[in-house]
Amino acid sequence: MGFRDELGKKLLFFDGAMGTMLQEQGLQSGELPEIWNVTKEEVICGIHRQYLEAGCDIVKANTFGVNPFKMKGTGYTCEELTKKGIEVAKRAIEQSGRKAYAALDIGSLGKLLEPLGDLPFEEAYAAFRPMCIAGEQAGADLCLIETMNDTYEIKAAVLAAKENTSLPVVVTMVFDEDGKLLTGADMEAAVAMLEGLRVDALGLNCGFGPDIMRKFLPKLREVTSLPIVLNPNAGLPVVVDGKTSFHVGAEEFAGIMKEIALEGVSVMGGCCGTTPAHIRALVETCRNIPAMELTDKQRSVVSSYTHAVVFDNRPKIIGERINPTGKSRFKQALRENDLEYIYKEALAQQDQGAHILDVNVGLPEIDEIQMMRDVVKGLQGITDLPLQIDTSDAVAMETAMRLYNGKPLLNSVNGKQESMDAVFPLAAKYGGMIVCLTLDEGGIPDTAQGRIRIAKKIMKEAAKYGIGKKDLLIDTLTMTISTGQENAKTTLDALQYVRNVLGVHTTLGVSNISFGLPQRERVNTAFFTIALSQGLSAGIINPNSEAMMASYHSYCALNGSDSQCADYIAKYSKQEEQPKTSAAKSGELSLFDAVVRGLTESAYQAARKELETRKPLEVIDGALIPALDKVGQGFEKKTVFLPQLLMSADAAKAGFDAIKEHLKEGGDESSSKGTIVIATVKGDIHDIGKNIVKVLLENYGFQVIDLGKDVAPELVVETAKEHQVKLVGLSALMTTTVANMETTIQLLKQEMPECKVMVGGAVLTQTYADMIGADFYSGDAMGSVRYANELFGG
Amino acid sequence: MRYLGYRGQEMEEKTARMIEETAEELERGSMPKSIYREYACEVTKGRVKLGELTIESQNLATNLKGCERAVLLAATIGRAADFMIKKYSVTNMAKAAIVQAAGAACIESYVNEVEDAIREDAKNRGLFLRPRFSPGYGDFALEYQKDIFHMLECQKRIGVTLTEGNLMMPSKSVSAIIGLTTKERESCQMEKCSLCEKTDCEFRIQD
Repeated sequence: MGFRDELGKKLLFFDGAMGTMLQEQGLQSGELPEIWNVTKEEVICGIHRQYLEAGCDIVKANTFGVNPFKMKGTGYTCEELTKKGIEVAKRAIEQSGRKAYAALDIGSLGKLLEPLGDLPFEEAYAAFRPMCIAGEQAGADLCLIETMNDTYEIKAAVLAAKENTSLPVVVTMVFDEDGKLLTGADMEAAVAMLEGLRVDALGLNCGFGPDIMRKFLPKLREVTSLPIVLNPNAGLPVVVDGKTSFHVGAEEFAGIMKEIALEGVSVMGGCCGTTPAHIRALVETCRNIPAMELTDKQRSVVSSYTHAVVFDNRPKIIGERINPTGKSRFKQALRENDLEYIYKEALAQQDQGAHILDVNVGLPEIDEIQMMRDVVKGLQGITDLPLQIDTSDAVAMETAMRLYNGKPLLNSVNGKQESMDAVFPLAAKYGGMIVCLTLDEGGIPDTAQGRIRIAKKIMKEAAKYGIGKKDLLIDTLTMTISTGQENAKTTLDALQYVRNVLGVHTTLGVSNISFGLPQRERVNTAFFTIALSQGLSAGIINPNSEAMMASYHSYCALNGSDSQCADYIAKYSKQEEQPKTSAAKSGELSLFDAVVRGLTESAYQAARKELETRKPLEVIDGALIPALDKVGQGFEKKTVFLPQLLMSADAAKAGFDAIKEHLKEGGDESSSKGTIVIATVKGDIHDIGKNIVKVLLENYGFQVIDLGKDVAPELVVETAKEHQVKLVGLSALMTTTVANMETTIQLLKQEMPECKVMVGGAVLTQTYADMIGADFYSGDAMGSVRYANELFGG
Repeated sequence: MRYLGYRGQEMEEKTARMIEETAEELERGSMPKSIYREYACEVTKGRVKLGELTIESQNLATNLKGCERAVLLAATIGRAADFMIKKYSVTNMAKAAIVQAAGAACIESYVNEVEDAIREDAKNRGLFLRPRFSPGYGDFALEYQKDIFHMLECQKRIGVTLTEGNLMMPSKSVSAIIGLTTKERESCQMEKCSLCEKTDCEFRIQD
């Protein structure tokens, strides 16, 4: 019997702390414990032996801290220390004469992943990979990924273990008092992702003693179908003079653990501060308690990096707007790599109440895989909604699933064998719920029975991959009623059967129903309401349509899923006031006033109106620029402060957008005053100042190439050369990164002597700027506009 | 407000409301966490020994002069501020700037709270606090962040990590050393500004 066979069937016991024991043996603070695998292997072996004699079934090899970042400069490789660690653990087991397992112990890399940190996902994966391989080769029985507090890092580690070894994978995490990971992820989100990745068991370790950890377990038992592992500390750490100690004694520890075991758990052991005495007491007290009974919780769930969305009695809204089909502006954004446009669509839908965002960025003339990669990464940096990955390209789908920090929704599979062969293996590997279209090689059946037959076929095929019906979302396909009177009925009949008889969740792309008809929204809302009442679990709709969202909110109030109509009341009782004030005012405001007062929507409307009678250039020079100047001067005189300046900048941008649209309608391309490259220099991650400069420069008609933050000097020079720019703007916040600014300037001056450089950032002064060879220093964003205007003769 | 360049300008209700709403959103999303540990401290000329760690810094040595104990402190308000700045940089630059400023104010006031707890505890032992001193102030090199993070287990305990350039992520975080002294009069708030080279800073407090 191997670990997998025993897991969940009987209560198993992990060992206790390694670090605590090593400190007693003289490990110095700052010394890497894993090096002892080589230099003092008998000490390590002895500790394992003590735990084995205390009765544990699994020893954690001394490999927790092994990773390329920590091992740098130690003279040891990760492979070597991992291999040695496993070997010592195996030897201890052999010497003890007991049947026990050696766990390859993997801890955090100690780095924050992108988008907030500076470690790319694939680099994290690459860092975990060699340990996994070496661990399996040395004979580890399982892989324990522990003390984790970031789901994204966990995903990288789990993939590294699963793709490179066949070891069982156990993941334990550290939640805070509020039951959240340090990334803000709640337990449900973490569980959804881990179950999707098909780990063998999951649970909690470190952070707290058993008393506090116990409080999290009811929730965990409710949301996971997997075996639960619990490795608490011996209480909370107490640090005196740099020495950490834990104060929950062995008997007390075992006493609480016994109560927990009776409530239900699969594997127990200890983390910081626990000793062989704790484990001995634990095993003696709990040995005869059976393991928690495992049941499939049948939860239909997707997740983002913060939270889970559960398909239940309350229908969900999937926002459909990130999709180029039939939208020329969106296609243009894709062709021009204008990701900001896409992000705005995402955030607008979130504001309107979408629960999940569909992401379709396929266009024949662009590289969909690259675009999918960029957009999924970008969206994860700005929205916490789960994503629905919408593509027919299997490589694009896998790329997105791999990078996705959570359990995504996939759109879609259909009844064609080829489609199922491509999508199901991906879902089985990375996890995800799947939208299933009821069509196959024979096309779309025109009867409800035909679509139900395909739904059943898809369910059967999914089951072969271990994908249960809880992870399917069946789409019985909306066909327009303008081509067939029976179309709505067919869709709804099939939908009702799938939901109520087959017991599978459903989805529909709602708006297709009215294709070819006038005033489509009227039909759409009626159909949407009917579909909801027939058992629609998730509507793929435009959340920006007020009428559709009104149908949705009304339905939820009616079907009882909106408790006490609280959401309905919250949404519609305050809405009364808004249209009155903004509509009444915006009609009267001139473009100039709208920009000065920072009213984005009014500025857009006013610009559209002015363009009816005046030429674009007149609108720019007559209203937009003077308004910006007025606000800008106010800012410099300190009569206007930063948020006001930026609100005006946003309003002006809306005005410029109106002009761009107008030009486009007339077939003209807007011209730019000149191109400027801007960047935050290498090593620096603060970019808000740079972003403010960008918005203002764009408003004044410059084309800005924004290279982002932490940008290498070479990239700045390369970009500047490629676009032959006259001006580069650099930002640095830290004293330490000003040196990188200087390097960048030197390289620029060397390669492009004509190019001017302006600099800004918190620590800079005119003196500093002169010292590092900058052409211009600006203390605020308006200064950069003035300089750019002078330079380009604007 | 100070961080937004507010100097008593006339402010529309709309702006005031936006600031208030954005600050509230930030507060809801913030997950303040801190950790501090106390060490024996030994100060010699230009050098400070803190537990096992030796720091070469004239300015820090001056700050800690006469202290036999010192507290190492790290605190953060979590990732919400960074996340919101990213989000609002796309949709609403004004809000992004507000988050930036409110985040700075939040971490500052949170660290002050933590410091109050340390002060209270020290007082019971007849000790007083020196002004807190962070890596990056004066000649106290950022390089020491690595050691401080190791000693406090920052990544594990409060979720703060270091970038290649030793900057803290989440960005709204603080790390610092606070000296403990037996002499109350030495604990006066000596101005950190006087050590800073940026003499034209808007926020500089004049000596």
